[in-house]
Amino acid sequence: MIQVHELTKSYSDVRRGQFVALDSVSFQARSGQVYGLLGPNGAGKTTALRILSTILRPTGGTALVNGYDVCTQPDQVRRSIGFVSANTAVYDRMTGWEMVEYFGRLHGLPRDLLADRMERLFAQLKMSDVRDRLGAKMSTGMKQKVSIARAVVHDPPVLIFDEATAGLDVLVARALLNTVAELRDQGKCIVFSTHILREAERLCDRIAIIDRGRILAEGTLEQLRDEHHENDLEELFFQLITRHDQECLETAAVGECAE
Amino acid sequence: MNFSNVRLILAREIRDQLRDRRTLFMIAVLPILLYPLLGMSLLQVSQFMQEQKTRVLVVGEPRLTGFPPLFEGNRFVEGGPSQLLEVRFAPDEPELHDAADPRAEADRLVRAGRYDAAVFFPPDFATRLGEFRATLHASARSTAVATPQSNGSAKVRPLGIPSPEIICNTANDKSQIAFVRLHGILGRWMERIGEDNLAKSGLPVVAARPFLVHCNDVSDVEHREASMWAKILPILLLIWALTGAFYPAVDLCAGEKERGTLETLLCSPAGRNEIAVGKLAAIMLFSIATVVLNLASVGITGWFVAAKLPGFGLPPMAALAAVCVALAPISALFSALCLALAAFARSTKEGQYYLMPLLLITMPLVVLPMSPGVELNLGNSLIPVTGIVLLLRAVLEGHWWHAMQYAPAVTLVTLFACLLSIRWAIEQFNSESVLFRASERWSVRLWLRRLFLDRPRTPTFAAAVGCGLVILLINFFLSLSHGMPAGFGDFARMVLIVQIGAIVAPTVVMALLLTRSPGKSLGLTRPAKWSAVPAAMLLAAALHPMASLLQRLVQQLYPVSDSVLPAFQKLQKMFHDADVWPLLLLIAVVPAICEELAFRGFILSGFRRSSRVWRAIFFSAILFGVTHGILQQSLIASVLGVLLGWLAVQSGSILPGIAFHMVHNGLLTINGRIVLGDIPLLRRLIAPIEGGGVTFEWPAVAIGALLALLTMMWFARLSDDRSSDVVTGKKNALPRSEPREIASLPSEAVACAAIVER
Repeated sequence: MIQVHELTKSYSDVRRGQFVALDSVSFQARSGQVYGLLGPNGAGKTTALRILSTILRPTGGTALVNGYDVCTQPDQVRRSIGFVSANTAVYDRMTGWEMVEYFGRLHGLPRDLLADRMERLFAQLKMSDVRDRLGAKMSTGMKQKVSIARAVVHDPPVLIFDEATAGLDVLVARALLNTVAELRDQGKCIVFSTHILREAERLCDRIAIIDRGRILAEGTLEQLRDEHHENDLEELFFQLITRHDQECLETAAVGECAE
Repeated sequence: MNFSNVRLILAREIRDQLRDRRTLFMIAVLPILLYPLLGMSLLQVSQFMQEQKTRVLVVGEPRLTGFPPLFEGNRFVEGGPSQLLEVRFAPDEPELHDAADPRAEADRLVRAGRYDAAVFFPPDFATRLGEFRATLHASARSTAVATPQSNGSAKVRPLGIPSPEIICNTANDKSQIAFVRLHGILGRWMERIGEDNLAKSGLPVVAARPFLVHCNDVSDVEHREASMWAKILPILLLIWALTGAFYPAVDLCAGEKERGTLETLLCSPAGRNEIAVGKLAAIMLFSIATVVLNLASVGITGWFVAAKLPGFGLPPMAALAAVCVALAPISALFSALCLALAAFARSTKEGQYYLMPLLLITMPLVVLPMSPGVELNLGNSLIPVTGIVLLLRAVLEGHWWHAMQYAPAVTLVTLFACLLSIRWAIEQFNSESVLFRASERWSVRLWLRRLFLDRPRTPTFAAAVGCGLVILLINFFLSLSHGMPAGFGDFARMVLIVQIGAIVAPTVVMALLLTRSPGKSLGLTRPAKWSAVPAAMLLAAALHPMASLLQRLVQQLYPVSDSVLPAFQKLQKMFHDADVWPLLLLIAVVPAICEELAFRGFILSGFRRSSRVWRAIFFSAILFGVTHGILQQSLIASVLGVLLGWLAVQSGSILPGIAFHMVHNGLLTINGRIVLGDIPLLRRLIAPIEGGGVTFEWPAVAIGALLALLTMMWFARLSDDRSSDVVTGKKNALPRSEPREIASLPSEAVACAAIVER
């Protein structure tokens, strides 16, 4: 469902000069599967997900989403995905109902079908309290529910969650993870980025550990444990990141490190 | 473009803004309250100003027997403002009792603010005035018995009467008001004394005023009222169109970025063009609504308050219709500019910082056309915004026919400016570096580190802009420090200082310090073909007739002011008298090398790192034009800059540009020295002009244009022939990160040299 091959993205900024945010990243995610992108802050997770959602263009490599190329077929890609980000991205001056309806209509859903689907969605996500409430007056949990409803209203085959549980309390985060699991069970292909390892352990079918734009390890949780002889994911993560950081520092002098 | 998405986005943005109290306040509440409040304040303030009394000290004795009185008790006799003057005479002022110099003391008291003004009558004023009258009477009596040929006035000795003095402080507003009142009162008193003198001398008063000048105002009331509106409405229209667009733009772009909603919208099926157009339409609607509500509020306020003032009525309906027609393009223009700026801003706070620069750039274009000397003509109608203001003014004043003559030019320029700004706004939405500009912490240490240690191969965009600004600044201060050159030696010194000191030195220093490859940065590379150098010279020669035509056209559109003309003529005479070779060296060779190194070398290659080829050429040409400092020169230099930029891009070197520039300047320099022989064919192509020099007939222009076209076609194919390591002139031919270094031609830096080119 998602095929990423040698994906590269570089920027230029005052602080870091020419900066490689993604360095030849490759992975595949399938339908009915949650693919976890694990990494510390600044690892390149958001950049990768923004490329998959056609917000950014890669400087190298290819990425296919639902069979469509993100560079050459961005319209089709956008119709195939739902995107949920860490900041809930809720309009302050729109009600929950208006917001979901707005995105449903942008996706070209007929009014009747849209109304029907929204009714079901609002009931399913228990969103009756946000139906007529303005975004500015919603709690973070309410906003995240609206955000999910907006992402799934057009029933996309691919869902992208970019640190969606950041800033949520335990109850809301648990509810969100349950929703993600339900969506997986419905056969959606889900890419889920997080730096909370417990979430990844609980939810993800496959995991990629990413740091400084490079994938350091990739596979199912069991494969990772076997390959690195470490049962604890947190310890495994820590070892991989520390080792990679050390390598980067050593090679920085000769300019071979990605950064 | 999917217009269904545009409609959806438009509807959402309108709904969003209508729920925003700040926007509603700016658009609806402020106009409704502002003008009635302003009107009331104005009336109050004017009332206050009128009733404000001023204190006046009178020093000296103005009470003259036998003359019309100046005072009645403790007041001036004159009515009107005299009621508003509180008069105090010197004997009543304790500080003057023992003053050795009463005048100096009065001066001190006014300076100290004890009095707003003082009137000082010199000690012998009354005596001398009495003597003058006696002389006048004696003269009149002798004239009565003299022959008609005798001139009685010759015996009158009017001189020697010391002048009364008004002591005031112009740094103080109240003192100024007191001065105006006193000046009027004393003037009228002087006239009454004059009339009295005439009467006492047996002459009728009419002898001093044999005729009166009457004013015959041909305007009707409607036009007089309209002329007032013509000054107010265009400014209101433009200011509110800009303000009405700005705040929604900031909220809809920078605000969305800040709230994170833009990211979600960008990964929806709405394309970026659709998002930009939907937002633009919403901003435009709010801009129009702001203007309409403001105009309506002004109209209603005017109806109730201002219409009671003389010469101020309601604007003609036809003129209001014209304002409404002009509203759409003006709003479109400002909305697109605001949208592009707001898209660039990372937050609403940052977006609001951009309002002042935008106003500062726009205001001169709006306010300058309001000057009485600026009229609607072809030249002014080609200036964006200014053209609209002048056209509106003409329409509001009822000069329909005059306005219609220039309406097509204004419309075309406005539409072109609209399209450019809309395109810019849409491009902002397609640019990752704009939409996802990170908030980078800026520190001097990091900046210097990057500047010197992590030097790029060729200049960055910022370095190119910096170079342009440094050149402009040095040029500006040098032009202030220099006057007119006294002789050719002085002129030569001036040219060399400007070209080397202001243009080439900062460029070379920046190339050495800020880049790893100064040669490439300055465009000092091998051209794609060496034959490009003679081809560029041929092109300059072929374009010379057209360049001459262009210069004449620019001079007709924007004539040189009469005050500057003598200086230009003096320079031209100096050039005419100078030896040709030193002149060519100074005007053709030196500027060609220096200006090309700066503008087509360093600056163009810097611009190409961040912009497309044509945009980089265009901006470097604008900078090249601005450096010339004189409007007429700047326009021609900008056109020339585009061509030189294109030559640099096509050939991959500044050398052809230097050759072109040299020939172009050289031909213009020697134009005044050409002496035509009696060759019939030559006479058909070139004609002598009065005062020296030649002009080109249409056949010569046509032949030149054809030759130039062929040469340019050759240049257009040049990039295809270039080897792969040389940058091509085609769009996206090079990766943006390391564009090919292109040399640039220098802008005309020296005003004198520019004059010669003209």
